[in-house]
Amino acid sequence: MFKHLYKLMWNKRKQNFLLLSEILVSFLVIFALFSFLVYYFQNYQKPKGLDYERVWTVSYDNRQVSKQLDSARLFYDDLERSLKAMPQIREVAYTSANFPYSQSVMNTNVSLGDKVINSVNRYVSGIDYHKVLQMNLTEGRWFYPEDAAAAIKPIVINETLKAEAFGKQSAVGRLFDNHDKTSRRRIVGVVQDVKVEGDYLPSGKAMYTPLDTTDIKWNSFILLKVTEAADANFEGKLYKYLGQRFNNERVEITYMKDLRTAKNEVTLIPMIIFMIVAGFLIINVALGLFGVLWYNINRRRSEIGLRRAIGASSTSVSGQLVSESLILATLSIIVGCFFALQFPLLHVFDVAANVYLYAILLTVLFIYLLVIACSVYPGKQAAAIHPATALHEE
Amino acid sequence: MIRLENIEKVYRTDTVETLAINGINLHVQKGEFLSIMGPSGCGKSTLLNIMGLLDEPSRGQIKIDNQDISRYSDKQMANFRNEKLGFIFQSYHLINDLQVLDNVELPLLYRNSSSQSRRALATAALEKVGLSNRTKHFPTQLSGGQRQRVAIARAIVGQPQIILADEPTGNLDSAMGNEIMDILINLNKNEGTTIVMVTHDESMAQKTHRLVRLFDGSQVQ
Ligand SMILES: Nc1ncnc2c1ncn2[C@@H]1O[C@H](COP(=O)(O)OP(=O)(O)OP(=O)(O)O)[C@@H](O)[C@H]1O
Ligand SMILES: [Mg+2]
Repeated sequence: MFKHLYKLMWNKRKQNFLLLSEILVSFLVIFALFSFLVYYFQNYQKPKGLDYERVWTVSYDNRQVSKQLDSARLFYDDLERSLKAMPQIREVAYTSANFPYSQSVMNTNVSLGDKVINSVNRYVSGIDYHKVLQMNLTEGRWFYPEDAAAAIKPIVINETLKAEAFGKQSAVGRLFDNHDKTSRRRIVGVVQDVKVEGDYLPSGKAMYTPLDTTDIKWNSFILLKVTEAADANFEGKLYKYLGQRFNNERVEITYMKDLRTAKNEVTLIPMIIFMIVAGFLIINVALGLFGVLWYNINRRRSEIGLRRAIGASSTSVSGQLVSESLILATLSIIVGCFFALQFPLLHVFDVAANVYLYAILLTVLFIYLLVIACSVYPGKQAAAIHPATALHEE
Repeated sequence: MIRLENIEKVYRTDTVETLAINGINLHVQKGEFLSIMGPSGCGKSTLLNIMGLLDEPSRGQIKIDNQDISRYSDKQMANFRNEKLGFIFQSYHLINDLQVLDNVELPLLYRNSSSQSRRALATAALEKVGLSNRTKHFPTQLSGGQRQRVAIARAIVGQPQIILADEPTGNLDSAMGNEIMDILINLNKNEGTTIVMVTHDESMAQKTHRLVRLFDGSQVQ
């Protein structure tokens, strides 16, 4: 029976061409949608790698800070001590502008012998940075103040960078050259990935370098972990205090959890719009499919009557119509899969192959369900056709 | 073979009630070639459809092979039609999107049979109607007489005991009509197939064993 229906569908391929291409287009759109959703979902399931609750980010204007290295260092050490002395503040760390959920990135590359690793986000971080954000060390340690004296400067890297550079081997003690091989850095620790772009995007490769002499003169951000006692009143006082220390009013305090929400929205809102658009497209395709099947049944009344006369039961007639739609769907799906498989095969985007494979699987399932949903009712209707009447009509 | 007892068929629409068959008693013997004649609208097709289990009578009983059909489920009726009956229609009712051979195979798809045996039976049936050289054609590429021969091949491919033919020569010229008629007569003679044929053509009817005349839903002869 399958071969028979396949032959019938194949002989009618010209009539069914529009329907086939409609299903193909919806396959591709739904595949794109599911690829995003699977990608976001997989990222969402990974740990955040930090605790953003009660983390305040402070930005300030450093114009009034001495550009003399020693006095700058003295100023910042003193400021850090004073802040930490406040009962509402638990931890303090200086940071470059690219702290988690910020708008900045600082891309660099590192070399490991002949191998160059690109797109490594470099985070300049104070001594207590990992404490402010409650990051999880998986190997080695964070920086010590004594590291400042070391001949080779220390760095901490994240797991993604470790995996790319060393695979499953240990990273601690290994050396990275910087991009032009003028200096080297020693890896002292590995931290769990921090999803700096929000909950739905990957962390990327990261390396954390201590705030050193050149960075300190230009620093203009502080991260604070505050206690529950840090209320609006305290925020006001802190704002005033920092204004005095930096000698200007251009101080800004933001909550990291708000930054995270904003980041997530940037990912989710386009996705929701995409889903709405895709939803309309699917409704359109579903109505089209339903209409075509309905129309086909009316055009094929005498064929249906004939099949009943020669031995088809009413259930086998409705089964036939559903199977025909499934065969059409399968033809479109085969073509769709051919296109969809190019993404993992050609590695078009930097996304794991399994994202696409799951997306293909979900899309195939979705298309079949859609087609079944659209053909069950017309199929039932066809089964109700009275054979004598249908044969009589022609 | 086929026994109709007090068959009545009423068609009801919103406005009118048509009594298409009015109390018909008819017994078709096994191996008989019976023809039905009568003016247009007298209920010939309706009667044939009732015999073919395509339509239910409003009243009365049909027994085929001494089996009471009225208690059959949809599935049982379908199987019964598939195994025991073969239909030939005035307007052929071929599926235009299928090649001749596939059209002929159609009844075999609704029973358990391998594709080789289907192919063999369909080829043999086409040979019987003299169309073995047209198996790969589509119905639209055939003449009316050829199409009707395909329809006959389809009706006989399942080796049914009964063939119900509704004006099988109605759309054909007399030469073609005679050819079709010869096929049916041979089938009846050689294979013992019971045939009930509706016709408008007196000369065709004369070639059969028995002629039944209908008028306004009743048997007049
Ligand atoms: N589905 C139907 N609904 C309502 N009335 C019908 C239906 N089918 C047939 N009839 C009526 O029943 C009567 C018998 O119709 P039938 O088709 O059996 O005639 P017929 O003898 O085969 O005529 P013809 O020689 O023109 O084919 C006609 O009056 C017709 O109008
Ligand atoms: Mg008729």
